[in-house]
Parts: sequence; structure tokens; C-alpha cells
Amino acid sequence: MKKILTIVAAVMALNVMATDVPVTGKVQMRCLITTDTAGVYGNPAPQKLSTAVADGGVLPVVRYDVTLADNYIAKITTPTSFSSSPALNDTVTWTGSTLVSQTSDAGMSGYEAAKVAYDSTTEYDLTVAGSTWFTATLSATNGYDKSFPGGNYTAIVIAECIAK
Amino acid sequence: MVLTLFLISGLILTLDANSHEMTPTYPKFESSFVNGVMKTKMRLFNRRNDVSYYEIGVFDSEWKPVPFVTSYKVMKMAYLDTAEFDIYINKTDLIGATYICSKSKLQKKDVISSGISSRICSKIK
Repeated sequence: MKKILTIVAAVMALNVMATDVPVTGKVQMRCLITTDTAGVYGNPAPQKLSTAVADGGVLPVVRYDVTLADNYIAKITTPTSFSSSPALNDTVTWTGSTLVSQTSDAGMSGYEAAKVAYDSTTEYDLTVAGSTWFTATLSATNGYDKSFPGGNYTAIVIAECIAK
Repeated sequence: MVLTLFLISGLILTLDANSHEMTPTYPKFESSFVNGVMKTKMRLFNRRNDVSYYEIGVFDSEWKPVPFVTSYKVMKMAYLDTAEFDIYINKTDLIGATYICSKSKLQKKDVISSGISSRICSKIK
């Protein structure tokens, strides 16, 4: 009887040892847009708002993660108007530029040279899988030597990832 | 070692705190239960803690809007929420349809100075 019990216990133990626990996963093709830093306008002169660090601002930073090479285009559009502001007293002149600030792969080193800029939009062909950080420098200047009225100013950068 | 792993995990979590994701990249349409109407399923993941609303749009190759139907064209999504939604398009409209896009809608109260609106577009195959 003892022997039978021992055999049964051994068989049960063997069954436990033989049990597999499958762990499965699937990585989908995807583009992920992450807002690393929202950006803040500095006010270096009464008629100027700028995100440049030298002007006391904080540069907006956006990161693109792509899991498949050569399938996406990154489009970053800098603002040409405020989304909210006090009543303005003159015409505002906008400037904006976008730069690749960091990459996760050496193969992305050509992104900056290959970028296409038009109007206020800059396009990058994401030909390598991995992460790319883009930084936008924005500035708004009020009419000739006219101070911006006091209040809160906000403007929106549009970061797009479009499948090719 | 444990501290290093903890720091790396923390960094990854921090970096991923504000992401917008939509899949699949190349959706395929199939017949729906309505004759002459095609449908596809999309998945949206909100990892942006500063965004609660996403707008869905369908466009042709020249970025002109294409008529479509879904449950909500502007979806309310909590932080870390996943939404699966069906998009229905007439067979005739589907011929020109090229992109399905989701765009984050920023609320005035959430933008301090310079906000970033994200838009992800999948291409219809």
C-alpha cells in the first residue's frame, strides 16, 4: 500500500514538473507620440514671447517611437496663432523651427539633413525603427515695438505620425 | 543592481507618461452586418495624462474628410484607458478613403503655455 502511494505521489510530481506555462506576446506595428516636455514661453522683451532657453523659455520636446522602419512620416507644425490670449493690439509675427534633438539609433543621423520644411510644418521620414526626439523653437513678436498685453498666452504645436 | 533596475523602470514609466497610440497601422475593412457598408476595428490607448478627449476622422489622400460612422467622433478617455471602436464606411466612400486619424483634444485649462496636440493616422489598405 505504501509503495502504491509513493508511486502515485511520484507520478503526480512528474506531471507537475511537465506542466508548461506558455507566455505569448505580439508586437504590433505602431507609432507612439510622447510629449516629453510641453514647453513654456519666456518673455525676454515686452514685445516678444519665445521658448528659446536663452529667452527664459522651455523648449517643447516630443518623442516618436516606431516599431517598424520606413512606414511612418513625422509631421510637426509650429503655431501661427495663439489658442488663447488676451485681446491683441497689433499683428503678431510667428517664427518656428523643429530640430532632431536626440535619437536612439545611429542610423537616424541623417534625419535632420533629409527633413522637408514648408510653411510652419517640418516633415521627417522615419526610416529607422526606434525613438527620435524632436525639439521645437517658437517665437511670437508683437507689432513694431508694441508690448504684448498682460495675461496668459497659449499656443499649440501639432505632432503628427502618418502611416506611409 | 536592484536600485539600477528600479531607476531604469522609473525612467521608462516617466518617459511613457504622455503617449498617444492607435493601432493597427494598416487597417483592413470587411463586410458589416449592413449591406453595402464596410467596417474595421481600431484601438486607441491614452497614456497622455493631460488629454481626456480624442477626435476620430477619416480622410482621403488629399486630406478631405470622408463620411463615416462610429460610436463617438469625440471620445472621452481616462488616463491609461484603452478604447476599441468600429468604423463604418459606405463601399462607395471607401474607394477614396485613405487615412483614419485620431487627434488629441487639449482643453484650455490643461494648457499652460505651449501645448502639444498629437495626431496619429493609420493608412487604409
